Amino acid sequence: MAKYLIKRIGQSLLTLFIILTVVFIMVRQMPIDGYFENIDKLDEAVIKATLDNMGLNDPILVQLKDFFLDLLQGDLGTSARYSQGVPITKIVAEKAPISIILGVLSMAVSLILGIPLGAAMARSKNKFWDKFGTLFIVLINAVPAAVYYIYIQSYGTSLVNMIMHLIQGEEAAKIGMLFDQTRWVTWILPVFSMSLGNIAYYAMWLRRYMVDEMNKDYVRLARAKGVDSKKITMRHVFRNAFVPMIQYIPTSLLYTVGGSIYIESLYSIPGMGGLLVEVIQRQDNPMVQAIVMIYSCIGIVGMLLGDILMAVIDPRISLTRKEGAR
Amino acid sequence: MKTIKDHISHKLEDAQFEFAVYDSAAAEKAGYSNYSYWGSTFRCFLKNKVALSLLILLALLLIFTYIQPYLPGQYEANRVIDHPISSIQLMNEPPRLSNVMERVPGDTVLTVTPWDELALATVSKAWAEASKEWIAVSNVLSSIPSRKYFTVTEYGDDYCKIEYNGIVGYVKNDFTTKLKLPEDFRNTPYEARSNFSIKIYSTPSELTHKGNELFVLRSSVSMLDDKTAVTVKEAELRMLPDTRTFLFGTNNAGQDLWAMVWSGTRTSLTIGIAVAFCQAIIGILIGVLWGYVKCLDRLLTEVYNVIDNIPTTIVLILISYILRPGISTLIFAMSITGWVGMARFVRNQIVIIRDRDYNLASRCLGTNTFRIISRNLLPYLVSVITLRMALSIPGAIGSEVFITYIGLGLPVSIPSLGNLINVGRKLLATSASYQLVFPTIVLSIITISFYIIGNSFADAADPKNHL
Repeated sequence: MAKYLIKRIGQSLLTLFIILTVVFIMVRQMPIDGYFENIDKLDEAVIKATLDNMGLNDPILVQLKDFFLDLLQGDLGTSARYSQGVPITKIVAEKAPISIILGVLSMAVSLILGIPLGAAMARSKNKFWDKFGTLFIVLINAVPAAVYYIYIQSYGTSLVNMIMHLIQGEEAAKIGMLFDQTRWVTWILPVFSMSLGNIAYYAMWLRRYMVDEMNKDYVRLARAKGVDSKKITMRHVFRNAFVPMIQYIPTSLLYTVGGSIYIESLYSIPGMGGLLVEVIQRQDNPMVQAIVMIYSCIGIVGMLLGDILMAVIDPRISLTRKEGAR
Repeated sequence: MKTIKDHISHKLEDAQFEFAVYDSAAAEKAGYSNYSYWGSTFRCFLKNKVALSLLILLALLLIFTYIQPYLPGQYEANRVIDHPISSIQLMNEPPRLSNVMERVPGDTVLTVTPWDELALATVSKAWAEASKEWIAVSNVLSSIPSRKYFTVTEYGDDYCKIEYNGIVGYVKNDFTTKLKLPEDFRNTPYEARSNFSIKIYSTPSELTHKGNELFVLRSSVSMLDDKTAVTVKEAELRMLPDTRTFLFGTNNAGQDLWAMVWSGTRTSLTIGIAVAFCQAIIGILIGVLWGYVKCLDRLLTEVYNVIDNIPTTIVLILISYILRPGISTLIFAMSITGWVGMARFVRNQIVIIRDRDYNLASRCLGTNTFRIISRNLLPYLVSVITLRMALSIPGAIGSEVFITYIGLGLPVSIPSLGNLINVGRKLLATSASYQLVFPTIVLSIITISFYIIGNSFADAADPKNHL
């Protein structure tokens, strides 16, 4: 176990190093406009002096060395256009918590809704829930997320308003389309939208595993013994089918990260995803670089944790043969 | 005691125990099985009625997308359509099945706007040519400046008949804003006044489009003099000197959404198909090397682990950010992120079948590696490769929508489904929501069809289902 852990962590660190290097070198190939608030108003000498000062005229390897040294001290550089001169770590520290809360909430919601849906589909094979779930999965997988998010935002807002009106009566205050951190009602739609992809993903795989499991001999024996079908589903089938589901959690984390960029920007949520879209539109090179790196780190750490979790939970999974098989 | 032989010997004749002569036709018959992989796959696929009808729908849609610009009566995708006389862009025109705005009975007097001279100077070439056949008309006789008195000779709830400076005509009666009326206003005639400038119409209706002239075919009117024409029979008054319609309406720049949607579908499909092929080529090439060449296994596995750990979205964003926006950038960025899955799949399959006996035999007989791969290994993978390609087309279209939203997609001058959806997004809550609805319907039909067809093809290609 310890050997596997060390190897897996080492692999993650190597991946991290490669990704940071590649991102750094790629962003260096960009035009230098992205390092100045307004390059047209500056003359050549000032531009050169600033670039020298930032170390951008050094050979790329020196820049890389400086970058990693800074990184080890927790310095991601300063923003150039978004809010000039402010350290990126400070900006991100303000924005990150809300993204993390949203991400965790959406992962939780997708588990809470996706697992029962998958179980219901497996139990009622070829009946209502199965057909409903299949339709849902096809729609979610086939229609681009970018499209149904827009419809959910627009029609979902009116729906939420209507429901709130029914519950609270006349004094219910209407919500707008955008996110407002202080009002919990505005959290519903972003979290729900972010969960949809993962709900479909979990439901699809759980159904498949449960149906496979239901055809096994021990289930037949239990049925022959006269155990009632509800108990078989819950005690035997579900438990066995749930274990392999763990391996989908890391990938679903990557989906959540991807979805959060769009969702946060759509609902104007003051988080990291919205920030990324904003700094891209303003072409703020240092900030794009930093945020892309942070997202890559989240991906790597998420996959690492998922693999460790899987190793801990399911002893049947061989730790040494696993490599590259997933 | 009789032996078994005696028992049965009388039933057997020596003739039955002669050696058979080799008959090549009979041998052929015995060795023949009417099972063919692709035939069975095809039959299996035909059984799935939903997938089949979607395949037909998709095929028709694809053909239509590519021939649409060559059909008669189409506007060009990026053309901004102005009203020929006022030169105002026809923005946000709702979808219409026909651009006939009004039908008027015979003997209707219409005021002619001379636009022949106009046409030569300011109007686009197409309209200038149309000016020979069409005349611009309205029933506006004149207009009364604000705060001028005129005589109402007949009172009506919607229109009042009036007389002003010797002109007899009708004015709109929305008196909450316009007409100043006496107390017993139904007793005509009386003097009235409006706080705004109002138009006098020759008939109690407004034969204009947002105040702009309508167009009527020259053949359906006869000219009284230079300024007035009379319809000789029932005539259709059109929004434009044209019989073409805005089936999907126009967008907020006055472009025909119908042409934009199909042109955008073409762009998006081109991107999708190109990405699918790039992914397949790179994925198969690397997958084969990865699976077949043992010394590359370790290196490629590490490369795979690196790429697999980063969210795809982030790679897409980074590459589109660094390169110049355009179709080739999008194709490149999506191919870079997409080949990984294909390569891993091909690799896994090749590792499984590489050392099977028949391949071992092939190798012993000295078949070269390339032939083994192309003849012995790849045919196994064709069905799943096709499935993956079919699924990557909707994926690529979706990514294009996302990248465009972020602001890294195609420039607005190249219509694509992403661009159209991004523009329409802001209009969903307004009356112009059709600008989002039409592109999303087309997009959804395409992506859902590809998804369902791909999946049922994969089912059909699975030999387990060929019984």
